[in-house]
Amino acid sequence: MPRRSSLPVTFVVPTLVILLILSMVPTLYAIIIALQNRELSSTAYSWVWFSNFVDLFSDRRFLNAVWVSVKWEVVTVVATMVVAIGLGVLMFEVAAPRLRNLYCLLFIIPVLLPRVSAAFVWKFAYHPLYGIATYPYRLLTGGLIFDPLSKPSTALFAVASVDVWQWGLFFAVIVLKLLETLPPQPIEAARLDHAKRWQIHAYVTLPMLKAPLISLMFVKMIESLRSFDLIYVMTRGGPGVATETLDMYAFSQGFIESGKVSYASAMAVLMMIATVITFTMLWKRVQA
Amino acid sequence: MKPGRIVAKAVLAFAGFIAVFPLLWTALNSLKNSVDIITRVPRLVFTPTLANISYILGRDSVITGLYNSVVACGIAVLIGVVLGLPAAYAVARYPNRWAGDIQFFVLSLRFLPPVAVAIPLMVIWLQLGLYDTLPALIVTYSLLTISVIMWLAIPAFQGVPKEIEEAAFVDGYGAYEVFWRIALPVAARSLIGAVAFSFVLVWNEFLIALMLSSSNAKTLPIVASELSQQGMNVPWGILNASVVLLSLPPLLFLGVLSGFLNSVFRQKKN
Repeated sequence: MPRRSSLPVTFVVPTLVILLILSMVPTLYAIIIALQNRELSSTAYSWVWFSNFVDLFSDRRFLNAVWVSVKWEVVTVVATMVVAIGLGVLMFEVAAPRLRNLYCLLFIIPVLLPRVSAAFVWKFAYHPLYGIATYPYRLLTGGLIFDPLSKPSTALFAVASVDVWQWGLFFAVIVLKLLETLPPQPIEAARLDHAKRWQIHAYVTLPMLKAPLISLMFVKMIESLRSFDLIYVMTRGGPGVATETLDMYAFSQGFIESGKVSYASAMAVLMMIATVITFTMLWKRVQA
Repeated sequence: MKPGRIVAKAVLAFAGFIAVFPLLWTALNSLKNSVDIITRVPRLVFTPTLANISYILGRDSVITGLYNSVVACGIAVLIGVVLGLPAAYAVARYPNRWAGDIQFFVLSLRFLPPVAVAIPLMVIWLQLGLYDTLPALIVTYSLLTISVIMWLAIPAFQGVPKEIEEAAFVDGYGAYEVFWRIALPVAARSLIGAVAFSFVLVWNEFLIALMLSSSNAKTLPIVASELSQQGMNVPWGILNASVVLLSLPPLLFLGVLSGFLNSVFRQKKN
């Protein structure tokens, strides 16, 4: 590479400047709005400083939304990783190369779908009377009704299952590809020591893939923050507030129920601070 | 060992079935009359109808949504390519002490909760008089496409053997020529994957489009979701047809993206 060239500057600087403007302007503006009392219906506003934030902490619906978001994050991340590792290992063990390719293709399909489409597909499927996914239940129980999306205890899991359907299957493909990149010698050695198949994976291959698997989990944690589309289409946060995550609540406060844009923005700012701090710390640890 | 393998194969086959069946069922339903959809026992045999699909394609809102989606996503991806690829190349090939920070900054844009970006942008676009217009949507989406394309293109450029580029320098190529005539063509396969991925990402985007449009700039996902807000009064067949229409474009990239995955991991192996 030539030492002196204008290329790095001309290639990087404009892009970075644009990215900085596009990201910093909304971010700073979000903070400014959060300190005011703007409403959707009028253009008048005044500065209220931190009172939106103070109000949030006595808002039980907000605290519920925090709890639902945490549950959502944990359920989707854990279930995705379990499904991905399980199916990835199974493909590695029992599928012939041709079949592997077919499965890989099939498993990528759900993640490519727009979330709105995925949400509709499963909303139909979960319909208590006419849904295809509830049909086996109706068949086995002789016509009893099971409505996963409108029971508070199951709604979150029903929506989460769609997320896992999209990401768990996709990550299974990546786990398989990761397993395929491993050198065969350690696996052979373990086999010669009469290790069982599952032991080989639990003690040899998966520990060897620890770093990429953690990165994968990191990606899923970031993507799990984007739950809005699924929840908006499938339950609108309901029944009651059982599936109302932070972004859903912020949206309904800002745009559906009361038009309290500043209040919604205060929520978004808290969310932003929490995610930026958490993920920056996690990233530094992943990289270390 | 034998029964274990059979169970394992059955689990895999079941997962493969779950992966595509709901979508196929939706596609099937889009060809049904309501009578054949609203049945307690799912119907596999029915007289197909094209009424749902022609109804969808005949609606102005759907056609406008399709147009908006294509234009907004297309231009945003183009901007992402023009600004993202050169920057990625520079970071990959001319590493300096900020390279790590730049990469982290680009990734960190993905941490921002979409609501946190969408609320202030809505206020900003309203004040600028650009709310509910395609340019506002394109600029907002560019943030997404530039950062994603850059993030994925850095490893793609790093995967180009250095020797090829060095040979070109020896042959008297300038730095820009090497980028344009060597690095870009050699990395093209992976780069196309990265670009396709960014397109799928913005095509599927929902929250920002929902908040930045009210009538004129609605994208296809918004139009599709609105069809359902009329509750179950809308014939299911029509809803199913709109889901199929919305899902087709990303699925066109299935081949490209699975090729991209393969090339990423082949590179890792070597």
